[in-house]
Amino acid sequence: MRSRLSAVCRYEFRMQIRKRSLWVSTAGLAMLIAVAQGDRGPRYLPAGTSAAEVMASWALLFSMLLPIGFGMVLADRLVRDHRIGAAPLLASLPTRPGALVAGKYAGSVAATAVPGLLVLLVTAGGEFAHRGDVALFGWAFVAFAVVLLPGLAFVAAFALVCPMVISAPLFRVLFAGYWFWGNMLGPNYLPSLTGTLLTPIGDYPASWLMGGKALYAGDSGWLPFLRPEPGGGAALLSVVLLTVLASLPLAFAGSLMTRRTSS
Amino acid sequence: MDITISGLRRRFGRVEALRGVDLEVPGGMFGLLGTNGAGKTTLMRILAGVLSPTGGRVLVGGHDLTTRAGRLAVQRRLGYLPQDLGLYPDLTTREFLDYIGLLKGLDDDSARRRQIGELLDMVGLADVAGRRLKGFSGGMRRRVGIAQALLGDPALVVVDEPTAGLDPEERIRFRTLLAQIAGHRTVLLSTHIVEDVAQTCQEAAVMAAGRVIFTGPVTGIIGRARGATWEVVTQGPPPATGVVVSAVGGPDGTHYRVVSPAKPDPAAVPVQPSLEEGYVALMREAVPS
Repeated sequence: MRSRLSAVCRYEFRMQIRKRSLWVSTAGLAMLIAVAQGDRGPRYLPAGTSAAEVMASWALLFSMLLPIGFGMVLADRLVRDHRIGAAPLLASLPTRPGALVAGKYAGSVAATAVPGLLVLLVTAGGEFAHRGDVALFGWAFVAFAVVLLPGLAFVAAFALVCPMVISAPLFRVLFAGYWFWGNMLGPNYLPSLTGTLLTPIGDYPASWLMGGKALYAGDSGWLPFLRPEPGGGAALLSVVLLTVLASLPLAFAGSLMTRRTSS
Repeated sequence: MDITISGLRRRFGRVEALRGVDLEVPGGMFGLLGTNGAGKTTLMRILAGVLSPTGGRVLVGGHDLTTRAGRLAVQRRLGYLPQDLGLYPDLTTREFLDYIGLLKGLDDDSARRRQIGELLDMVGLADVAGRRLKGFSGGMRRRVGIAQALLGDPALVVVDEPTAGLDPEERIRFRTLLAQIAGHRTVLLSTHIVEDVAQTCQEAAVMAAGRVIFTGPVTGIIGRARGATWEVVTQGPPPATGVVVSAVGGPDGTHYRVVSPAKPDPAAVPVQPSLEEGYVALMREAVPS
């Protein structure tokens, strides 16, 4: 079972990392962020700002847009087995659907994590050129792990599974809408998940790294019990909640695939 | 690996694709003939564990395919080439086979690689083993398909319409390949191309409208048209009665081969039937329309 899961993961990773659209969307969005950020962006943080804050700010900024591209790219990965005609073969193999779903998920997360981490490391290189602090590279890894990666893992789960019940194009439209509503729409305008522990852009972990409020974390609004004061505990809770939430669609997909095989 | 099917039913909504199939498949190469929509693919998918039956029983090598444990036991010894197999375009031939090998549970790296190398040689794809699958021709894709089906040395190989859409040369090549692999295995070849069965199988079954209407030696199918196959040479229109199986133009007129229980034309002469004519006679008996 474990070797089959790792085989699916390995080959899913290999297939996706070769997708030009993954690299083009990452490069395009990262360039857009680097160039079009306002004067409150991390490029303009004053000299002497801690390396942790600099890289957390960059990670948060990338986390606002990069997952959109990844969500779009990943939206057909589970259903494409049916589209390209590989599904009957996979269903005939002595591999449980759960291993297929988990392996594809792990491979997808790994494949999107590589360009995500690369972008942060390149950014750390750019910041190092004018701040001269080698700790930026270390904080790039930390910021990636706690700010960007949980969001990617969350997005990957829904992007893989939702197109099993709605069409991939419809999912992409709904996902883009959700992303702006649930992550960037100020909670004082409309009821929104922005600023809660369930915000996958990593508002809470970024706030913890920056030692203050990164964006909207903890702002009063809808679902107040999900809006504790930012801090280490809240950051950890946010990561755990996102991970648990991500496991729900995966469990659903596993049972759906099992049911489809036996019906 | 013997297959025993009894009272097998499969329904898709209101459509009953299989209406009580009874069939015994011995070892060796076994052909399954039938028109499109006869239920062959549904039967293949049930045998591959991809679909569950609505009713009836399927025993493969003593394992009951209607149970989860039985299905898994069969899948461990199965090679399946589905109709219209999709390949991952971003993988190379070798990578694809390695992936499927791992999913089949071939965990010993060196043994798996050695087997992949042997299969690539066997299907004539060793030269393109490192090439990505996108851009492969239909024939090359089927050969990748049969190579993956043979990974793990399965006792049962289920092949669904493997030669449809192939050019004649590829078809002959593929048929030869299937005959080669039959040796100690059970190979179930589903097709609507009569010639494929004629060239590779000694035993066959014929399906029509979700039922098995014939099972036995291939010569038995030919026998169904004995005394009912005629040749008519005429410069006029084709005979009005019977089914025209072939028409070849010549200087003396068009030579029609006709399957008909009664003499279709005063000038008709009886001829030895072919498998195709036997198949046509059988289908006329089953679906008179």
